[in-house]
Amino acid sequence: MFRIALKSIVGRKARLVLTSLAVILGTAFLSGTSVFSATLDRTFNNLFEDVFKNIDGYVRSTQVVEGDFGLIERQRIPADYVDKVLSVPGVSDAVPDIQAFARIVGKDGKPIGTEGAGPPTFGSVAVEFKGALWTIAEGKFPKGPTEVALDEASAEKAGYVLGDKVKVVAQSGSRTFTLVGIASYGDVRSPGGATFALFDVPTAAEFLGKPGFVDAILVVGDGSRSDDALAKDIDAIFEPSQKVETLTGAEITKETQDDIGQALSFFSIFLTIFSVIALGVGSFVIYNVFSISAAQRQKENALLRALGANRAQITRSMLIESIVVGLFGSLLGFVGGIGISKLLSVALPALGFDLPSGGLVISASILINTVIVGLVVTVLSAVLPARRAGKVPPLAAMRATAIETAGPGRVRLFWGLGSMLVGLGIIGAVIGGSSNNLLGFGVLFVFIGTIVIGPSIARPVALFLGRPAETLRGVTGQMARQNAARNPKRTSRTSAPVLIGVALVTAVSALAASINGQIADIFTEQFKGDYAVNSNAQGFGGLSPDLATTLSSIDGVNDASGIGTVLTKINDKGRTLIVITPSSIGGNYDIGLVNADYSVLDKDGILISESLAERDNLKIGSVIPVTFGDGVTRDLTVRALYVHNDLAGDRVISRETFANTTVSSFDFSIYVTLEKGADNEKVRAELQKAVDEYGQGKLLSRDEYIDEQAGQVNQLLGLIYGLLALSVIIAIVGIIITLLLSVFERQREIGLLRAVGMTRSQVRTTVRWESVITSLLGAVVGILLGLGLGWVIVFALRDQGLTSFQIPVGSTVFIMVMSFVVGVLAAVYPAWRATKVDMLDALNTN
Amino acid sequence: MTSPTLTVAASAKNATKKYGKDEGVVYALNNVSVDFYSGQFTAIMGPSGSGKSTLMHCIAGLDELTEGTAVIDNVELSTLSDKNLTQLRREKIGFIFQSFNLVPTLTAEENIRLPLMLGNNKGDEEWIQRVISTVHLNDRLTHRPSELSGGQQQRVAVARALASKPRIILADEPTGNLDSTTGSEILKFMRMAVDELGQTIVMVTHDPVAAAYADRIVFLADGKIAGEMLEPTAEKVLDRMKSLGN
Ligand SMILES: Nc1ncnc2c1ncn2[C@@H]1O[C@H](COP(=O)(O)OP(=O)(O)OP(=O)(O)O)[C@@H](O)[C@H]1O
Ligand SMILES: [Mg+2]
Repeated sequence: MFRIALKSIVGRKARLVLTSLAVILGTAFLSGTSVFSATLDRTFNNLFEDVFKNIDGYVRSTQVVEGDFGLIERQRIPADYVDKVLSVPGVSDAVPDIQAFARIVGKDGKPIGTEGAGPPTFGSVAVEFKGALWTIAEGKFPKGPTEVALDEASAEKAGYVLGDKVKVVAQSGSRTFTLVGIASYGDVRSPGGATFALFDVPTAAEFLGKPGFVDAILVVGDGSRSDDALAKDIDAIFEPSQKVETLTGAEITKETQDDIGQALSFFSIFLTIFSVIALGVGSFVIYNVFSISAAQRQKENALLRALGANRAQITRSMLIESIVVGLFGSLLGFVGGIGISKLLSVALPALGFDLPSGGLVISASILINTVIVGLVVTVLSAVLPARRAGKVPPLAAMRATAIETAGPGRVRLFWGLGSMLVGLGIIGAVIGGSSNNLLGFGVLFVFIGTIVIGPSIARPVALFLGRPAETLRGVTGQMARQNAARNPKRTSRTSAPVLIGVALVTAVSALAASINGQIADIFTEQFKGDYAVNSNAQGFGGLSPDLATTLSSIDGVNDASGIGTVLTKINDKGRTLIVITPSSIGGNYDIGLVNADYSVLDKDGILISESLAERDNLKIGSVIPVTFGDGVTRDLTVRALYVHNDLAGDRVISRETFANTTVSSFDFSIYVTLEKGADNEKVRAELQKAVDEYGQGKLLSRDEYIDEQAGQVNQLLGLIYGLLALSVIIAIVGIIITLLLSVFERQREIGLLRAVGMTRSQVRTTVRWESVITSLLGAVVGILLGLGLGWVIVFALRDQGLTSFQIPVGSTVFIMVMSFVVGVLAAVYPAWRATKVDMLDALNTN
Repeated sequence: MTSPTLTVAASAKNATKKYGKDEGVVYALNNVSVDFYSGQFTAIMGPSGSGKSTLMHCIAGLDELTEGTAVIDNVELSTLSDKNLTQLRREKIGFIFQSFNLVPTLTAEENIRLPLMLGNNKGDEEWIQRVISTVHLNDRLTHRPSELSGGQQQRVAVARALASKPRIILADEPTGNLDSTTGSEILKFMRMAVDELGQTIVMVTHDPVAAAYADRIVFLADGKIAGEMLEPTAEKVLDRMKSLGN
């Protein structure tokens, strides 16, 4: 039997190639993302090994505050510690390091780099030093308060050359420097696509942080002792109360690598989710191909049965085939994956993410993983079709054509509807008040039910969707419609990848649209200003608090009030607090203070939300100890409660609380109200001028600002388009494979049609419309399912303040158009193959 | 029965069809010249492998001759593009094959009208109704081929071949798969199409009884014309076949 199986595989190369294609598709994403993640990991590890190669010790504060999203702020240390370190025997050289938010403003007045999204923008120190992180590629190291050096990639991007005036924006405002040097970091032009403005130590301390303070001290030893011993000796000169620690070169390298590893792991998880979706959807395609090929071999199998083969033998021969296909396909998938990761590593630098050079990491373990996963998925997908093949009655050998049993089957309908009802029941129960955790099961049951019912509804739905094709295209459209409906099982399996992809995309779009509407409502209610200056910095950097002061001095401006964030620790938990200026915020921003106004908030006060008060049992007069980035714990007294915590979070403090300390805080927005009767146009022009001068931030009118805030959810769209692209590719390949198999199967029919006068272009039209109908079938059901899923998610999030569900009209239309295009594209090759069918085959009476 | 002046509906001149090369070359047709006349029912006979199907295919423009020419209605087929050739098949030729004549997804009536619909042509409705009633298919029009018996399927095929009033109908063993009663029904109908409707039919057959329905028989052997017979009877044909070594 094994030999028969092998013969049958080799005898039908086309079928082998097509089946393998499905496996290749599923496994290529998996291995591609694995190779890419491994490559990223290694390149960054190498980079930091390089960067800290000559560093033997790293001195820094032990004091850290962590914010909500894994943001951390380490306390700074006094700059004069450098001299202390230099005096330690065994230290050959030591320099301070400072790294903080700074943005380089381009020649066009616009800051370079993407704010909030994309790689960070830094200001740092570049000095001559044995263990230097930065080397000068062109010019010299910056010296004095007017000189700057830029990383190579940023200088090139902005078009700056030595001698140019360069504006840089930092916490203390914006300032213009003279470019004296172009620097490179290790062997890359800019690490990870981040931008760097580099200064000497005093300038960096004063401009980027606080004068007299530095972030850390880099130490190079003289070789007289080990790094460990050196670190101990340096630690020994500090009092415990000074809260300083010294790491060895190896330790800081490892820590940095781990940090990056962690950041990259999000990326890997994201890629893995994509490849799991790809594999899951791909397994549908594999299952479909095996089912079709089993049906097409019905006669052959029946003949074997008639000649004495038993069921198990037939099933086994198909499983053997699936093993061969699985092996072959996943090996090729692995090769394809290398191509995908190569593509990623070319595409990312093109998107501004400069990667350190280095070849792909291709390991045996990735190969083994890919092959095992590919093999398991393939064989599992083949089990059902193989069992069905074994059940073929020997009598089928005498039957004329090998059409798949078309009966929709009551059993199928029963189980499918049953599963759907169970799912709907669960969802209903949740709506009625049961735990949200059950929703997932409800959705799963509905999904399974839909897939099971698929073949039963495929025929009527395909016939319905094909109606326009028939009206439009006459007999070719009619035949396309009938072809799409003639094997409902096949059609529904073929459209399943479209269905799943479309359902996911629609659900995410619906979620985005709903959040979008909600945000607009919230801002309309709480934002009272006429204008807003906005920075999209998310937790790192933003607008200098000085900008608000500048804006409020403009004629016609009533109040300009900055709103920022600060990282703190409360009860040992990292908390990000909102920072306001109580004197100017009044007419700008309404957080719904209860029986109070902003004037109650003083230097030692804090405002908390009602929900926090309830949760933590706090009331006016309660005292909350808050630890700030300078390591100092301040006792803040609750002055008032407020209602709206959707934007302001649970805690609001005054800027005064940490004025004149090393605590760093940026504004993310400045809200502006105009005086009554002020000349709108003129004031706007003045505001714009001030913002331009500063070099960062976007001036928006009230409406523009609300629109933009609501539109931020559209960043979710990136994910949507990723999903869409992925499912489009899989769907196209799935449809191509099925159509090709159908075309092979219908050779005689096509030959007959050609003989009685169907032109080649009519043949193409028929295949194309069949493809379009199949694709639309998946899209329509997918959209319905996706809208339902989106509604359920929005409902589940009602406690997070999401109250209104919105239908994503634009996306839905776009998806319909896309699925039409998918149908047309997928049909190109099969339609061409169909025109090549030999007419004489139809007449060949045998 | 035949009109005094015969016009040629289709013809082959010095038609040669070779398969293979050098040593292994097979002559399916070897310098065949033959005319088929309008309004006549011609049968082609010959031993298996003698080139009957090949001749039909080449005359129908389904296959290309290695040498020589095939002409339908004064048009030389080798001069036509695929598109024009397809159009010619659609408009001027009707086909009846031994089996698998019908498109399984279309109803009987749609199958009958298929060539017309493909050409976006309404056709002559009166004529189509007459054809349909002549083949006694009125109550089967909405059925799919899988719901029709073999004989009914062949009748649909015959109706399709007639529906577009083609210049010539080519039939390759149209009764080969049918029992003799059903077969003779089809043959009578083809005979009637020639007599009453003035059709031109060329039919390949192995069966002397079937061939006896024709006005004229052309014999093929080893890819060459091996003679003709006018006003045949089953006995005469049987004798002739024996002498051809079948
Ligand atoms: N594609 C082909 N390749 C090679 N030889 C072929 C091919 N098609 C037909 N032949 C050969 O050409 C010759 C004529 O074949 P053809 O089908 O015309 O015979 P036929 O008279 O119709 O026979 P039958 O009565 O069995 O249908 C045969 O010897 C056949 O083997
Ligand atoms: Mg033949």
